[in-house]
Amino acid sequence: MRITISRQRSFSQDRRGLSNLIIVVLSLVIVVVIVSNVFLWSYQMNQLDWEKMQETLTISNIARITRSSWFVTQSEYKENKGNRTSGSYLDTQVVDSSYESFKESSPPRTLDINGTFTIDLANYSLASIQSVEIQLRYRVDDTGEKWFLKAYNWASRAYSDNGFNSTAGHTPASGWNNYAVNLTNQWRSYVRNDGKMFVKVQDQQPDSTRTVIDIDFLGVRAVVNGVLFTFQNKGSRTTHLVSIWVNNSTQHKRYSADAFVNSGETMSYQRVDVSLPNGQYAVKVITERGNTATYSGG
Amino acid sequence: MLKMWRNNRAITPVLSNVLLIVIAVAGMSIATTATYIITGNLRETMGERFIAEDVWFTTGKIAVYLRNTGKTAIDVATLYVNNTAQSITSLHLEPLNHGWLNVTYTWTANTIYHIKIATSRGTQVADYYKSPT
Repeated sequence: MRITISRQRSFSQDRRGLSNLIIVVLSLVIVVVIVSNVFLWSYQMNQLDWEKMQETLTISNIARITRSSWFVTQSEYKENKGNRTSGSYLDTQVVDSSYESFKESSPPRTLDINGTFTIDLANYSLASIQSVEIQLRYRVDDTGEKWFLKAYNWASRAYSDNGFNSTAGHTPASGWNNYAVNLTNQWRSYVRNDGKMFVKVQDQQPDSTRTVIDIDFLGVRAVVNGVLFTFQNKGSRTTHLVSIWVNNSTQHKRYSADAFVNSGETMSYQRVDVSLPNGQYAVKVITERGNTATYSGG
Repeated sequence: MLKMWRNNRAITPVLSNVLLIVIAVAGMSIATTATYIITGNLRETMGERFIAEDVWFTTGKIAVYLRNTGKTAIDVATLYVNNTAQSITSLHLEPLNHGWLNVTYTWTANTIYHIKIATSRGTQVADYYKSPT
């Protein structure tokens, strides 16, 4: 005990020894900080490079898109004239054997129904839409009169077919008929800012027969000029796509992208704001890690 | 009190210890600051990564689209075409940022050019690009 106290006392009195100890400790701390800082950062950057090397993205296909998917009514049709005899609006959502039937009203024997349709503006922005199409698949028990498709014009606040590519109506044959109209460049008057449209089906005029109409399908779709990319991630890491380049001899156009492709997956990526040029072109896709996938077409 | 002031041998060890501590702390602060500065520069240099997303040959001009894929901001210092430095307007890119770098250059059609981009810290990206016909 006495020896220990004596050594402590002599150590505290030996200033040169104490200062040497402090210098050594401080130097050690500094060296450790430098080494750990550099090594940790080096490790992180090596990991970044390693991840980049493991990324393998390919563009397996590129196709032009000219039409959106069909948008169908999500509620029952409103019967302005005539009445529903069987089925429901659900039967008019796909082309199949099920249908919804309506019968013309008692004299003056006419039919006038309208449904609500909404274009998905999240995927097809108003800026990317060039026109709108309406298609009707129907069958009637009286082929003696024409049938008309109209839409609500938000500017004139009335149902109209003004500006449609066909305003003459459709004369049905026996069996199922397809009738489609294009709203041409007047489409914007018929589509509200939130993508909503009211579409009307009506007969030509009162006649002697109370016609029954079976509607198998009624839908609207947007006419667009877009691209459907198919990406394949053959690497072991999820890939984040950040840029799409569409190049040809006269232009190099860049589009921002924000899409993820999981490891080992094939993903379809639709863009209606990207248009492919005519003739030869090259498409490049850039990932966040800095890799590039290319595709030539045309 | 008077006794303590007269006892010079008691004050000297206290003063010397305090001085030693002050000097040690000051030295440590200087050393730590220097360490951060030195390793900070080293770290930024190590953290630089960028790519040339696209190279576009237009009339009398070569445009290179750069993307900063690293962990630190970069300043593009020079662009070399066939190992000859070209005058550029400065381009600063934060991590994940991207932008065009334009160089006035009279290129020849259907010719291969070696284009090298260097940052102010010395990181380089270089590749061969063929001009259009």
